[in-house]
Amino acid sequence: MPENDQRSISFWAGTVLVGLALLAPFGVNEYYQSFLLQVFLVIALAQAWNLISGMTGYVSFGHAAFFGVGAYTGALFLTWGYPWWIAIFNGAGIAALIAVPLGFLTLRLRGPYFAIAMLGLNEVGRIVATLWVSVTKGGTGLPLPPSLLPSLDITYFMMLSLALGATLLIAWVHRSRFGLELRAIREDEEAAEMVGVNTTRNKVTAFVLSALIPGAVGAVYAMYTSYINPASAFDPARNIEMIVVVLFGGSGTVWGPIIGAATVMFLREMLWAQFPAAHLAALGVLLLIVVLYLPGGLVSIVRERHRERPDARPGESP
Amino acid sequence: MELLEPEILLQMLINGLLAGALYALLAGGLNLIFGVMRVINIAHAEFMLIGAFGAYVLFNVFGLHPLFSLLIIVPIIFVVGYYFQRVLIERVVDRPMLTSLLATYGVSIILINVGLLIFSSDFKSVPVLQGSFLIGDLAVSKPRAVAGLVSLVLSVGVYLFLDRTRLGKAVRAVSEHAQVAQICGIDVRQIRMLTFGMAAAMAGAAGVMLSIIYSFWPGSGVDFIQKCFAIIIIGGMGNFVGALYGGILLGVVESFVGGFISTQWAEAVAYLLLVTVLLVRPTGLKGVARA
Repeated sequence: MPENDQRSISFWAGTVLVGLALLAPFGVNEYYQSFLLQVFLVIALAQAWNLISGMTGYVSFGHAAFFGVGAYTGALFLTWGYPWWIAIFNGAGIAALIAVPLGFLTLRLRGPYFAIAMLGLNEVGRIVATLWVSVTKGGTGLPLPPSLLPSLDITYFMMLSLALGATLLIAWVHRSRFGLELRAIREDEEAAEMVGVNTTRNKVTAFVLSALIPGAVGAVYAMYTSYINPASAFDPARNIEMIVVVLFGGSGTVWGPIIGAATVMFLREMLWAQFPAAHLAALGVLLLIVVLYLPGGLVSIVRERHRERPDARPGESP
Repeated sequence: MELLEPEILLQMLINGLLAGALYALLAGGLNLIFGVMRVINIAHAEFMLIGAFGAYVLFNVFGLHPLFSLLIIVPIIFVVGYYFQRVLIERVVDRPMLTSLLATYGVSIILINVGLLIFSSDFKSVPVLQGSFLIGDLAVSKPRAVAGLVSLVLSVGVYLFLDRTRLGKAVRAVSEHAQVAQICGIDVRQIRMLTFGMAAAMAGAAGVMLSIIYSFWPGSGVDFIQKCFAIIIIGGMGNFVGALYGGILLGVVESFVGGFISTQWAEAVAYLLLVTVLLVRPTGLKGVARA
């Protein structure tokens, strides 16, 4: 398929999907609206993970920590009486602020070592949230005053715009020079450096952007559930979902995380809603299958016919 | 300062050494795998928990003492590890390190959640030993002493196997250079399966010992794998003896931090050490890996 055709199909498919998502609140009941909201949540998180791990090949095993930071920041600002949109901005801002020094420190490490250093991050976040009782109220959690919360419609549209924003960001990065440089880092970091790519700046920029999105998503999530505690804000399941969704759909691509999120959320709703442990075990099986047999994800099944090689193979660069 | 009295310091040291011996056994296996096949096994701590839950089941169903169930569990986990290598890890061993990292991450997710389905998220323990040995002014808790000493004996056993036997020499050869080892007539595939089996068995034994000291649940692995990473990075990735020293060092540091500051901070020590060492020397203090 010629490049232009593919692009216009992407454009029209995207427009139709966004149109449907905008109209959905007027046509479906609250249950399905909530479900869609959660799909958008997973899409936004998946695109954020896609940006650092899919594009650069630096696999982050602890990215849900930024979600937790955003959730707590958002919840705190809301309880301090700020309007919800300021709370969301701050959720994103604080997550990004934490990511700057963290990125400079950990991204010096090459792939597998970075992965090891990030593995415990979400857990560290949970412990800090539990121990820092004076601010977070520890294990009892933070209830948000209902009078300050935005309505379900507003949280729905916020989450939709975050998912859309994250996707457009990925689409832009994909076509920009920045994205090209990130992929150069993924393929061969030394070579990239040799031809003049500022690898550190690019990696840290990608990392901070990919922390900003979960920060905002976390803040919206706190408003959606109206109560957070260390276990729900720093849920290891979310960490797993983020990774599996991207790899399953196709990492480093624009559509992969969307297709992955829709499939995984649909399966969870249909099959595993009653058994969270079974859901996660199934995600583990999915991850194994993808890593062993389908390194390009679902997207590559369609793509492989038209191109010599799929976009991304996480961890396939040396 | 009461804490600075020599008896108390000695007490902390002994507790640290005993805990460290358990870490050393666990991390030694992880490092063996890394050394031989350059695979970081994220599911290593889950193999440990298989041992712990095995001891729990054998104790509750047959009333078997964990020291006896060691004799049943260790061979079983060896076989499981052997075939695990054959079925799964052999497929990813020649691919880039991140591929095997993701594969073992998948296995870890599966094992944790199957464990949750079977055993729920309640904490379990195997309370077989109580009380303390009194040596002079020192009181060493019996379960800790037994677990520490058994772990030490097993670690030294594995070391002697690697150091003295022909098979152990083959393992070290593959660890040093797989292709050259192959040319010298060593069946590298077989050695890799043997190594994984042995490492899994070490983790399983550590799990059985863990079951008599701590309470555990299917999600306990996270803390331990984090500690293991800290240990093998301190001791040098792929360096078996380094992992033994690293494990003991971590145990002692944790014990002193726990004594002087707080036990909650002791839990964070491993992560802080890990990040610090990674930043100062990404290849570890005495490593074979190249970043």
